[in-house]
Parts: sequence; structure tokens; C-alpha cells
Amino acid sequence: MRLLRIRSRKKSVHNSNHFGSTNPPFPEDQHTELSAKLAINEQMIREVFQKCSDIIFRSISSNPEVLIVYADGLIDTKLLDKVVLMPILFEETPGGLEGTPISGQIIQDKLVAVSQIKTVSTVGEVTEGVLKANIVLLVDGENKAIAAELKGFEKRAIEEPAAEISVRGPRDGFTETLRTNSSLIRRRIRSPKLKMESKTVGQVSQTDVVILYIEGIVSNSVLEEVHNRIDRIVMDGVLESGFIEEFIEDAPWSPFPQVQNTERPDIVCASLLEGKVAILVDNTPFVLIVPMTFWTGLQAVEDYYERSIYTTFIRFVRYILFNIALLLPSLYVALSTFHQQLIPTNLLLSIANSREGVPFPTFVETLLMEFMFEGLREAGIRMPKAVGSAVSIVGALVIGQAAVQAGIVSAPVVIVVATTGIASFAIPRYNFGTAYRLLRFPMLILAGVLGLYGIISGLFLLMIHLLGLRSFGVPYMSPVIPKVPQSLKDVFIRAPRWSMNRRSAFLSGTNQTRIPKGQQPSSKRGKADE
Amino acid sequence: MKKLYRSIMFFLTLPLIFVSGCWDNSEVNEIAIELAWGIDKAENKKVMISAQAITPTRINSGQDGKVGESKDKPFFVVSGEGVNTLDAVQQMQTKLSRLVFRGHRRVIVIGESMARRGVKDIFDTYTRDPNLKLRTDIFIVMGGTANEFLKTSYPLENISALGVLGEYDQIGTPIEMGLLNFLHAATSEGACPAIPAVAIGMDSKSEDQQNQKMSSNSEGFRIIGTGIFNKDLKMVGFLNIGEGRAMRWVTGNLNKLTVPATIPGEDGNVSIILFKLHSNIQPTVQNDKLKMVITLTAKGAIRENNTRLDLTQTNNISLIQSALDKHIEETVSRTISRVQKEYGTDIFGFSDAIKRKNLRLWKSIRNDWEEEFREAEISVKADITVRRIGVTGPSLQLKQDEIEK
Repeated sequence: MRLLRIRSRKKSVHNSNHFGSTNPPFPEDQHTELSAKLAINEQMIREVFQKCSDIIFRSISSNPEVLIVYADGLIDTKLLDKVVLMPILFEETPGGLEGTPISGQIIQDKLVAVSQIKTVSTVGEVTEGVLKANIVLLVDGENKAIAAELKGFEKRAIEEPAAEISVRGPRDGFTETLRTNSSLIRRRIRSPKLKMESKTVGQVSQTDVVILYIEGIVSNSVLEEVHNRIDRIVMDGVLESGFIEEFIEDAPWSPFPQVQNTERPDIVCASLLEGKVAILVDNTPFVLIVPMTFWTGLQAVEDYYERSIYTTFIRFVRYILFNIALLLPSLYVALSTFHQQLIPTNLLLSIANSREGVPFPTFVETLLMEFMFEGLREAGIRMPKAVGSAVSIVGALVIGQAAVQAGIVSAPVVIVVATTGIASFAIPRYNFGTAYRLLRFPMLILAGVLGLYGIISGLFLLMIHLLGLRSFGVPYMSPVIPKVPQSLKDVFIRAPRWSMNRRSAFLSGTNQTRIPKGQQPSSKRGKADE
Repeated sequence: MKKLYRSIMFFLTLPLIFVSGCWDNSEVNEIAIELAWGIDKAENKKVMISAQAITPTRINSGQDGKVGESKDKPFFVVSGEGVNTLDAVQQMQTKLSRLVFRGHRRVIVIGESMARRGVKDIFDTYTRDPNLKLRTDIFIVMGGTANEFLKTSYPLENISALGVLGEYDQIGTPIEMGLLNFLHAATSEGACPAIPAVAIGMDSKSEDQQNQKMSSNSEGFRIIGTGIFNKDLKMVGFLNIGEGRAMRWVTGNLNKLTVPATIPGEDGNVSIILFKLHSNIQPTVQNDKLKMVITLTAKGAIRENNTRLDLTQTNNISLIQSALDKHIEETVSRTISRVQKEYGTDIFGFSDAIKRKNLRLWKSIRNDWEEEFREAEISVKADITVRRIGVTGPSLQLKQDEIEK
């Protein structure tokens, strides 16, 4: 298996070389300058776009001749008619310029009423412009063309994100459109310090990637690292931010996610204010946030919208549940097959009663039920909605009373598996929860083979791994290990907002003051000044 | 190549876990859970071990609402004989399809004849075996064998042997300390162990029939007192239930106690429920004679008042307190002097108290401690504080002029 991996790696190196040789994947004439003859230009562009049925060439036989090239569906055609075609076709040459022939300059200056315009001079730029939802105007006799942005493709409306729901808090979520997404963030942080640096990743797909941060708050070393890692990426296409994530994470074989993803603009803004860096990718509502720590995996948005006392309580519940999600099945197996002394007598008697006549060993039984539960969960997600209810009905039979009555599994195992399932859904970040669901199985095997000793060994290995893990240079377990007392206000408890005065030293740059001290509300506060 | 080597090493090491792992695991339905354990005398210096093993299918799990429906007992008793405990267990195992699991043992009972023979030679395994727990209680079956006791059913508890634990708890003794206290007293230089004693049958009538062979399915059992052991761990004597309570108060192992007292000069009596019972043993030497001052303190709530006293009056309370003090002092002194005279075994832990308070004194007397214990002059002082008097002052059924202010 290891051998295979090495082979595949070699292969990939070879691939990238191969890829490099065809880079750029456009025809060789992409750097060819446009000529002054429209016919030659059209010829060249048509050659680039041959067999592309969605590219429209609209020529207007005015004097001089004008050719408009655009991709159908990416362009707002109504706007095109109104602001480009109509002026050129019907309107007189603007005042003061009568008699002079329409030139490219005049079109740019007077005729095309579009806000974003740039002049392009090579075939490559023309094709790029067309593919990025511009219309390109070529005028006979000019060796330059005009690219005007007229984006107008279909896009999804802003909806509440399905995966991250909160009772209190904003309900807007990111969409597949990058500009919409960046506008959602810009609306929340109205500061020129909020920077958005654009990059293009993907040799074929040419996907826009935007790196967001707040200047002065962000840690420069993290920012630099993000730039470097994204610049290093060489791949054909980026279809989702997960493609980027796999290239920039620190430990690709770790079960724990080192890059946070979210659909919620408020989470992104909160992270930016903490000094983190966000990575927006076009065509996906999922935004990446780096660096990620272990504890962010256990924080939910609402923790910051509800009052701190309630949130602290909920965090304790959550920490207990996530331990249950990892350990309950393995503890059950270890205790009931190796260490019966540790079970209270009456509980042992009822376990003994329910285990009578069960055909499988406890370990196999638990593994089977956990497996069935994972299967049920997976089927529930992938099923078409119309058959979804069938899954839940059958699922209740498989993991439930029917299985117990049939004598295939014992009742305690059903309870253990169900409790574990509930507990694993209580982890707020989905991809963090999956890490725990995954680790449950090795823990279960260790418990079945070695008992409590196996569980402890497993926890040790897990600890060693977590303590060595880093995300963009930030220790994964920080601020607990290494300890940063000031930042502990937002880990096990959630301190009131007025007391969280400083940003985490690991995440933010030089400016660490967040909220000035002395703002604790009280009935006396402020009265002394009067 | 180094990576290849490492991965080969990894996959070669991996089977070590699975091949050699702790395959000594046992499923819950492969063990015979045993909650009570009996030790009896057998012929030729052998011991007979009995165990009350649980039948899991007969435990009511509660989900079918069948409580009380199944008439079969959820346990059965197996026994085996051998030269020592594990030999007996091995013989017992021949009758059991599942491995005897002793990790959950709650009760050890010793038959009277075995206790009189002495248990010093058989008690090693109860502390050596890592699977056993020390939080076990230990009882003597007076007038019967442990085997008979284990076969007895108990109306309140599914598993009858657990009933005796409840009874033990109800008489105000801290439970789960029995074995530990026994071992502690046995290892002590001067002190002697005392173990609570039970008898089969709920009514004391059966006490009269003690000599008759009791039927094995007679219902229930009761705590009747305390068996006294000497330093060789042989049972030498017996205290009744009241004396046993007095003994436990002195040793500090009593949580609650109800004391009735007649009030001098009054027609009637008072009952008080005592809690926070403490004792203090102070040894002194007067005229070359060992003297022990035992101070017993407790706080109490009066729950029965059959006198005409109005309890809201403080002078009446102090009257009652002094009457109670006197009653307690008499009872405890009587108990101690009986043990001193009849058995001469220090079950009250005086030796440990002397050792703690006055080591020099202990060193001077430890060689003939038994004699010193018999001769020691004991004075008991009780100090009862009435904390609550209930919801009325005088009894409500009394007329106004009958009440003594």
C-alpha cells in the first residue's frame, strides 16, 4: 500500500511536469498582439473559440465595422442591448464629433455606458475577458479592444445556510457568487483596512480566489504563509474550496481539519476580527478560515450572540457530549468484557440479563451497530428527499426495539449507540464532528482488544498527535497548550464580551487590544461623571 | 526505501496487538456473577464454600412490567469443599457452566461453627486476589450454616443476601466497611474484631427452635447481635443487639440510634433519635491502675414523649437530657464490664486509643494487655444534646392542667 502511494506520488510529479509543459492550456498565439484589421482579429478569436457554441460574435456593420464578442449566459443581454448596441446602432455620433469616424477611443469614452472598462491588446486578454463575463468590442482599424464587464448570469438568492443554523443571529449565508459573498463581508466591516487580494487558481478553470484579512490585526506571518501556499498550487480546476483546503493544510493525514470552513458571513467577520485570514473561492458558498484550532471546532456562532452564562453552561454540555461521542462505545465494550468490577452491581445485573441469548460478543455487537448507524446517517444524507422518510422508518427498525426483540443485539448497546449518535451531532462544526466519528472506530477496536488499557493508549496517541499538530504555524491545542491565560476566556467558558479585552497572541499581529477595559456594566457606572 | 522499510515494520508489528492482546476478556453472559459468599466448616479440617450465583434471565429487567411475577428466585446456591478456599472453588466450578466472577461480592457470611473453629487460616485469599474488592461486609450466621443462610429467600430483595446489607444499614452502621474493619482489628496489636451476627427467620420464635434443623426455605433473617473474636480469630462470645450498638458507639461506627429513657420522678418515658454520634476514649493512669474515660456525645431529636412534660421549657429538656445520659452511661458501662469479665477481648479498640494518645503508656503495658484490659477501670460519660423536640411542646391529648411546666 505504501509502495502504491510512492508510485502515485511519482506519477503526480510527472503529471505536474507534463502539465507545466502545456501551460498555458490555450493556443500558442495567446500572446499574439491584435492587429489593426478586424477580419484578422476575428479570425484569430474564432480560432480560439472554435466549437464553442456559447460564444457569440455579433458584428455591426457601421463605419468602421464593430465586432462584439461575448459568452452567452454570462452576460446581461438586456443591458447589452441598452447600453452598448443601441448607442452604436442608432444614435448619432455625439456632439462635437460629427464627421469623425467612430474610433475605439470614442466608443470607450462616449458610447459604451458601462462602469468597468479596460483596454486589451492581445488575443489572450480577449479570450480571458470573454470567459470572465465581459463583452469585448473590436473596432476595425484599431489594434486594441475594449472589454466591458456586463456580468449577468443566473445566481442563487441569499438564503439561510442549511448546515449552520442558529436561533439567534443573522440569517444570510454565502452563495456561489464570489462578489456577492465579498459584499456580505464588506457590508459588515466597513473599513478600508479590510483587504481582499485576488488570485487565480486552476490552469483550466481559472477560478477566482480572494484572500481576506484586516490589515493591522492579521498576523503577517500567517498571511504570508497563506499567500505562499496558495501560490504554490498547480492544478487543473478548482470546483470547491475543499480543493484548495487539501493543498494548503499542514498535516494531510490527520483526521482533524486544520482549515475551518463556513457558510456564514458573520463567522467569517468574527474570525477576521480575531486576526484570522479568510479565503473566498468562486462558485462555492464555503469560505475557508485559517488558522484553525481544536477549540474553534467546539464553538458555535450562537455562543457569541447568547449571554455568557448560558453559553458557558452549553459549552460544558458540549464538552461532555464530545467526550461521549468519542469514548462511550469503547468504554462500554471495555467495561463489560474486561472490567466487570467497575460496573455498579445492579447495572451489571441488568446488562447480564439483556445479554442473555445475544449471539455476538459485545465488541462485534457494538461495532455492528455503530457501523449500521454510520450507514444510516450516510444514507439519510444522500437519499433523495422523496424517499427520506423510508430511511428513517427502516432505520428505527434496524437500530432499535425490533433489533433487540429479534435477539440480535442487546438493549444496552442500542442505547449506547443512540447516545453516541446524539452526542456526535452536538459538535457544532460538521467537519470536526466527522473527525470524532472516524476516531470512534479505532478506539472501539483498541477497547475490544486491550480493554481500558487500549482506551488509555488510544487517548495517549491522540494527545500526542493533537499536541504536535499545527495549523499555519499556530499550535492546534492553543491557547490551552501552550497556555495563554488571557485567551482562556473563550475556551472552556465564554467570558462576557466586555472582559475579552485582548486578541489571541497566536492569531493576531501586533494590535492585540480588542475591547478597552473598564466597560463592565453596572448601575453605578458612568454616574460619577455626571 | 526507508519509508518502505518503515511501513513493513509497522505492518509486522500491528499483528502483535491483535494476536497477543488481552484475550482474557469474558462476556457478561459467560460469567456467573456471585454476590454473596459463605464459609462453612467441613470435615477433616476442610472448608465448604457456598456462593449465591445470579441467574440473569430471572432478573426482572423491568421493561415488561413483570415485577413479582416470576416466582423463581433469581439466584441459586452452589457449594464445594476443599482444603482451602480456592480448592473449594475449583470443586464448585465443576457444577457451574460459567466462570465464577467474584468481583462484585457484597457479602461474606461465616457459619457459626466455622467462626468458632477460627478463620485465621483461610482469610489470606480475600486480600490477595486482585479481583476481589475490600468493600465487602462480613456476617456470622448464629445457629446455622452459611449455606443455609444463602438459600434463605428474603421478601424485600430479589437477591436475598443483599437484604442483610440493608438491615445492617438500617441499624445505623456504616456499610461496606465490614471486611476492612475486620482486617484492621485483626492486624492491630491489642484490639479484637467483632462481626455482626444474623439469624435465619424473621421472628425470634425461631430462636427457641434453634436446636432444631431449620427448613431451608424459611423466609428472611434478622440481625441479632455481634460475635466477638479473640486474637486467634476464633469466635468466643456474643453480644446482643443493644450491647452491639453500645460497642459500635464506643468504636465510632454508629450513625444513628434510638434511645428510650424513663424520666425519674415522672410517669412515662421519652424516645430520642440520635445522630452525629461521636466517642472519645481518654486513657489515664491513676494509682498505678489503668483508667479509661469514655465520652460519648450525640445530638438528637425527640420523637416520642409519653410524659406530661412540656418540652418547650428548657428545664424539662435538661431533665430529659440527664435521664438519657444516665441511661446511656448505664448501658454502655454494663456492656463494657461484661466484655471485660466474660471474654477479656478488646473489641472496643481501647488498645489503639492508648497507642494513639499515649505511646509510652502503651509500650509499658502492651505485653500483658489482656490482663490490663480486664482490670482497667472504665468510666463512661454521655453528653446528649436535644436539638429538636418535634412540632408540639406538651402532648396534644393532655388537658391544660395535666401539663407540667
